[in-house]
Amino acid sequence: MSLHRAIRGGVAAGAAGLALTLVATGCSSGGTAQDGDELTLSVTTFGTFGYEELYEEYEAANPGITISATNIDTGGNARTDTFTKLAAGGGLADVVAIEEGWLGSIMEVSDQFVDLRDHGIEDRSGDWVDWKYAQATDPDGRVIGYGTDIGPEGLCYNGPLFEAAGLPSDRESVAELFGGDDASWDRYFELGRQYQEATGKAWYDHSGFVWNAMVNQLPEGYYSADGDVIVEDNAELRERFDQLAAGTLDGLSAAEAAWDWNGGESFVDGSFATFVCPGWMLGNITGKLESGGGGAETGWDFANVFPGGPANWGGAFLSVPASSEHQEEAAKLASWLTEPEQQVKQSAAAGNFPSTLEAQAELAENPTPNAVFNDAPTGAILAERAEGVQAQFKGPDDSLIQENVFGPPFKALDRGETDADGAWSQAVQLLGELVD
Amino acid sequence: MTSTLIPPPVERTPRRVVKEPLTRRQRLSRFDLRASPYLYIAPFFVLFALTGLFPLVYTLVVSLHDWQLLQGQGDFVGLANFTEVLQDRFFWNSIGNTLSIFVLSSVPQLVVALVLAAVLDQNLRAKSFWRMSVLLPYVVSPVAVALIFSSVFGEQSGLVNNLLGVVGVEPIEWKNDTLASHVAIATMVNWRWTGYNALILLAAMQAVPRDLHEAAAIDGAGAVRRFFSVTLPGIRPTFVFVMITATIGGLQIFAEPRLFDVSTAGGVGGSERQFQTSVLYLWEMAFFRQDFGKAAAIAWLLFLLIVGIGLINFLLSQRIASAEKAVGSRRERRRSKGARR
Repeated sequence: MSLHRAIRGGVAAGAAGLALTLVATGCSSGGTAQDGDELTLSVTTFGTFGYEELYEEYEAANPGITISATNIDTGGNARTDTFTKLAAGGGLADVVAIEEGWLGSIMEVSDQFVDLRDHGIEDRSGDWVDWKYAQATDPDGRVIGYGTDIGPEGLCYNGPLFEAAGLPSDRESVAELFGGDDASWDRYFELGRQYQEATGKAWYDHSGFVWNAMVNQLPEGYYSADGDVIVEDNAELRERFDQLAAGTLDGLSAAEAAWDWNGGESFVDGSFATFVCPGWMLGNITGKLESGGGGAETGWDFANVFPGGPANWGGAFLSVPASSEHQEEAAKLASWLTEPEQQVKQSAAAGNFPSTLEAQAELAENPTPNAVFNDAPTGAILAERAEGVQAQFKGPDDSLIQENVFGPPFKALDRGETDADGAWSQAVQLLGELVD
Repeated sequence: MTSTLIPPPVERTPRRVVKEPLTRRQRLSRFDLRASPYLYIAPFFVLFALTGLFPLVYTLVVSLHDWQLLQGQGDFVGLANFTEVLQDRFFWNSIGNTLSIFVLSSVPQLVVALVLAAVLDQNLRAKSFWRMSVLLPYVVSPVAVALIFSSVFGEQSGLVNNLLGVVGVEPIEWKNDTLASHVAIATMVNWRWTGYNALILLAAMQAVPRDLHEAAAIDGAGAVRRFFSVTLPGIRPTFVFVMITATIGGLQIFAEPRLFDVSTAGGVGGSERQFQTSVLYLWEMAFFRQDFGKAAAIAWLLFLLIVGIGLINFLLSQRIASAEKAVGSRRERRRSKGARR
């Protein structure tokens, strides 16, 4: 009997010890040693980035390097992913794509990213349009991002719908119709009212995107150049708000849900005739047309004109987090990916617009037709749209103000539930509650 | 049952009079007897301390500080985060939404699960097939459920509105109308959890002694009467358990409202927060507005709310248990009376 007990006791202690050992070691497994020659670089991008073939090219040219890529569906989700991992103090990829809209927040913790001047970015500073390089520079002069693309905006429009309303439909005439170089928002809304009268249909998909374009174009948007929130004191902002609200209340907005557009069908069924299009949006629309059952035959086109003058919406950077274990190699990869030659290839794959001067010139000189947009030379058009773009200061809460402060009042306007003054006071109230 | 309460006869060895010092083996054996049980259960408590207790306490520490998501810890602010959250209209809005969705999901869910379990308890052909079928929705991840249902409840050309159109009903604004959006989200929750709860209730039903059913049937009780008088009292403890788990789950709904409409600020629960639940508000506070301190305060308030509702549930189940005891002792008395007769 005592032998029996002793064995049982031993087994018990052993089992418990084993369990404790498992608990203790559970966290430490998984770390594998890296050879000097063999290493894996992780890259996180979002939306339509067009890097797949470039990764392969880089791997072929650099034996021993494997790229493990993750692409997050939208910029908003990439923002959450990056912020969460920054807050947790680990888990970021070796190369992380950062969007202009939330660069302001990143800049507040810019020391968590590698200063790329240590990796020779200064030698390339002349590659980019100057404001792009300046955006990635923090107040201490540290440069934390290689610019990938920028978002100069042109006007997407639907040719057949324009024809049905008695408007011209070829690109040059449309650009002229909107006023060419003198295109103004007044003219845009005037044409919208004409279109709405002729067809009874909406002019733009929803107010939020038009608002985004109107704000981004101003010398100062939600923030002053010194970094103060100036929403309530910015007379130009209020003027544009009223202009857009009046148009929306006249039925020019299709009140669509952004990023869904009824599963893409609204791009196909003629719900709206115009769309504000930064370069990277072209790839998004192509995808939505597909899922909505349309394509080139739907008749979307891209005109070399934009109301209110040049505008930029978005664009991205590649950064190397300070937590990366292969900073040297990661910076090398990020630098290579943003060289003009690679930017041209990226633009061809994703339809976005490069941020380096040489790549822009290349697109302008060798226009390639975009089949989905009625063979418009989108790259060449965007190169012209990029001229005169000025960077606006983006504060840390810029995307919060855009989405959570102005989103609800414009939604209410789209649905005809309020008037311009009611919507503005809702925005001001939300600003007070959400931004301190 | 009573017979097992009588202890089996034990051979008593005469007690040793002289107390000899214990040998090493004996001492080890005694230690083993006393300490081993604690070692057996230690892994759970070690894990709980690491993954449950530590975050709980850490969240409290965060909630007492001015704490930004990216910049990290700031000044100690005492209970300021709590008072600010308690004065925040969006917080109370989220509590209201959570309770509304909770009621809309839990009540129909438990009723339907009960009926489903009763049906599955009958003598069906291909029993296992039916039982596995009701569990199928549970296998699908909540994210996939949310994506599918947000399309089904699409306002312009969603399946539900199309079907309503066939019978001449105006399309419902599932993503803008507060009550409609709650119904839609409750539907997702119900779809996923009803079968799971039905199976737990079914297991309890099968443990109800069949002879009680037979006796009731011989006494002339119909199927419905037997369900209410035999089955329901028999599964009461399990039913309380299901209620408690449904409560905890119902107050923590996140994925469904987060993904139901992503057009507003990446999904904060509707443009006017029509269906923003408390956990979703917590998420917005932490990861969108980057105020970690206030988010931690919301987490603690939500924790207290769940504990509060859990206590109510506990008291409820205590009453049910004591009611059962009373019923049991009455039966006992009746039985002994019968024996005397």
